Amino acid sequence: MSALADGLARMLPALRSNVLVGLTLAVVTLPQAIAFSTTLAGLPPHFGIYAAIWGVLFTAMLNPARVFSGGPNTTMSASIGVTLLPIAPPFGADYIGLALTLILLAGLIQTLFLLIRPLGRALDLISEPIINGLICGIGLFLIFKSLTSFGGLPINTEGEWPLWIAWQSFQAVLEFGNLYAIQIGLITLITSLVVRQIDALRNWAILIGVIAGTSYSAYLNAQVGLQNTLVEQIGNLSAVGFVYPSLPVFNQEALSDIISILPGAVTLALLGLFQTVAAMRRMNRKIGGYTDSRKGIFADAVSNCLLPFLSSLPTCASFNRMWLVYTMGGQSRLTSATSALLLLLMVLFLAKLIAIIPMPAMAAVIMVLGANMINWEDIRPHFQNRREGTVFVASFLSVLFLDLFEAVLVGSALAIAYSKWEQAHPNITLRDNVLKIRGNIYYGSLPVIESTYHAALARTPDVVIDFSECYYIDPEGIRWLAAMKTRRKAAFVDRRGGADRRDAEGPPTQSRGERRGEGRQRRRQDRRRRTDI
Amino acid sequence: MGATSTGLLKVALVVAALGGLYLLALQEHAERDTLRQATVELTPDCTVKLHDYALSPGERYRSPYLTKLTGKSRDLRGYSDEDVRAIQRGCNIVDDLQGYWANGGPRERWYASRFSRGTHSSCRNCHQGVGDKQDAAGNRPVGSNGLGASWVMADMYDRFTGLLLPYELRQMQCYINSSNGFKPNAADDLIRDVTAYSRFLSAALDLRVGNHYPEQGTDEIPASATERRGDDYVRGAYVYREKCATCHGLQALGTVEQGRVLYPALAGPNSFTLDSRMNFARVNTVMPGFICRNMPLGKEGSLDNQECRDIAFYLSTLPRPAGDHQGPLVAVWQRLIMTVMPPLTRYAESLGRNHDQRSAN
Repeated sequence: MSALADGLARMLPALRSNVLVGLTLAVVTLPQAIAFSTTLAGLPPHFGIYAAIWGVLFTAMLNPARVFSGGPNTTMSASIGVTLLPIAPPFGADYIGLALTLILLAGLIQTLFLLIRPLGRALDLISEPIINGLICGIGLFLIFKSLTSFGGLPINTEGEWPLWIAWQSFQAVLEFGNLYAIQIGLITLITSLVVRQIDALRNWAILIGVIAGTSYSAYLNAQVGLQNTLVEQIGNLSAVGFVYPSLPVFNQEALSDIISILPGAVTLALLGLFQTVAAMRRMNRKIGGYTDSRKGIFADAVSNCLLPFLSSLPTCASFNRMWLVYTMGGQSRLTSATSALLLLLMVLFLAKLIAIIPMPAMAAVIMVLGANMINWEDIRPHFQNRREGTVFVASFLSVLFLDLFEAVLVGSALAIAYSKWEQAHPNITLRDNVLKIRGNIYYGSLPVIESTYHAALARTPDVVIDFSECYYIDPEGIRWLAAMKTRRKAAFVDRRGGADRRDAEGPPTQSRGERRGEGRQRRRQDRRRRTDI
Repeated sequence: MGATSTGLLKVALVVAALGGLYLLALQEHAERDTLRQATVELTPDCTVKLHDYALSPGERYRSPYLTKLTGKSRDLRGYSDEDVRAIQRGCNIVDDLQGYWANGGPRERWYASRFSRGTHSSCRNCHQGVGDKQDAAGNRPVGSNGLGASWVMADMYDRFTGLLLPYELRQMQCYINSSNGFKPNAADDLIRDVTAYSRFLSAALDLRVGNHYPEQGTDEIPASATERRGDDYVRGAYVYREKCATCHGLQALGTVEQGRVLYPALAGPNSFTLDSRMNFARVNTVMPGFICRNMPLGKEGSLDNQECRDIAFYLSTLPRPAGDHQGPLVAVWQRLIMTVMPPLTRYAESLGRNHDQRSAN
């Protein structure tokens, strides 16, 4: 008994902090869920809420990463809207059915990424500066996006340039925003900023801010009346229940529509996977752990195949909410699961209290989240290297000027171009008649090697090519070497003899198969170290 | 301790900044309020129009137009001072979006020019007669884009996307596509005042919600309304030179005199976008309809359907800004074309002129 009590006593603080982080996460997710489904995806609010419950729960159960939070996502919701708006009027039966089909298709495409290994591996080509650029871009984007609801104004939903919308919205809020809404928002913002400075209450900051904003709004409603303040509130959620089963549309009449939304499904699947893989990698490095990205892909794919049957938005990792979990010290996936269950309980039993939370307070919370995502400590290392800096700036600006998907493409293209450029310039030294190549011999670097080789050949008739420090030679390189050899113009030196190699690989007690496996592993590690340099 | 104090300093800075912004917001709100209360200086056309419709504050409103045309009269609910000012400002915006007539500058038009790129766009370019075109007898011509008739189908379903468009969103489409600009916020006075003016027009003209009226929208001309010789932009260019170029210019860049736009641009950076339904390449019935019913000014109806389609086709081949959804690459390309093409065309035409002169000699 006492052992059990001891264990409980030891677990209690962890449990308490889990519940607190989960509660904050639930409070933060709720308005996002409602806003994403109604304003971006064109679906009823329960879609977002179920994504915040079931999507979060499924990914928490399936994904072993310690800090992970799934659920509704801005860009995925927006891409549902963008894909389906030309096909059917939003909130209608056709639209909802097609949306479910779209999500299911995206889930199936994500399953393909799981089944075909190279596809999943290709997602790893997104480098850290790209991810940090995305995170900073999304942080700013969230702040901009919540400006209008901060000022109690209708939201601009169409795809103009985000920076321009931000500027217009800022001016609109200053000139004719609802002053009551602005006051509520400011009180929420300032309260949570001040409370954050007190160490004991740091993790309660957002909750206390929301409570302060809500109390002020309740006070205003009592004094002035809701009909005069005209501040929007979250509203009645009592219609949302435990589960709400649904079925994607798949029939003869809808087939042409389904075919026409296929490209949209591919975009949706990619957007989700990009964010999941990138966020997992970033977070794992922050907490010093490692989780195979395939496990994240698996969790997303399975969840997104299940969610359309529970009338929910698709799920993928959420940068801002994972940031929140991380900064509040959440260290296990229990946190996300707790938040999902708490949200479910809140929606079931506290719907009346949630209903009076004013939207400007929620907008203020999203602004705080956005500001938290821009962290100078994470960005600074990128500016010490010109190439990393360029990639970071490119992906950051692309989020603001293009969109998330194109930002990933632009950033990856730049990063791959840089690493290819690096590989195409091996370190070549010519000492006496020995031409030493450190790096790759492949179609890209061959012209560089050839020019030095022929320059050397012009000076001395017999050149020795030393490629003992080459770790990769592609077939074209081998053909070139063979041609040089047959023309008897060059002698080869590979100082790494068979005996040396066996010594390096360790004691010969291992079985043959194991040794071969280790050899492969070694070569891979080798290459990775090279690209890191 | 040091960390705490810098943290406190940071928070104090942020709070001070937010407080400053709040004070700024209070000041801007106060300024808007004074503008809402101020008496409105009407543009010349609006003075005439609103005087004809006997707009004044009062308990009841009776439209002189209705009495003149049908001899009957109908008592409607009147307008408060505030309503009258909103209607007057709305009329000013429709007549003069850029604020050329405003003494107080763009402020008096609720900064409408913020929401349009280029200097030519104004509502009255398409909604002629300050949104209420009439012939000498007071009849409203077919397909003249009347704003009153537009209001009475206030919320409509978009023909192409099937979305429900409230009157506010329909105004936003004007700003995005026809003015190559940006959406104002739906709660902006700019949108509200134009709505107030449109509602007033529908009251003054005795238009009823849900009815169809001849001046509603454009009278579209499909290919089936012609003799089906096929649309031809070369023929269109010829007719354009004959009938339109004297006002709109050879390259359709509009006519500006002493800083005032006399005739708006139909191509180039000051005109409507590629995404606009006025662009023949996108929707091939609207622009021909507009031309046939509303152009040339004073000689409306003198062009036949095929000519209108040809002219619209020709206009769609001229360089114009990219649409809102077409992305930065298309935008940059169109910008380049708009910069390069006019001087090149002018040069090419000067060559042609020399050749003509030589052969004449």
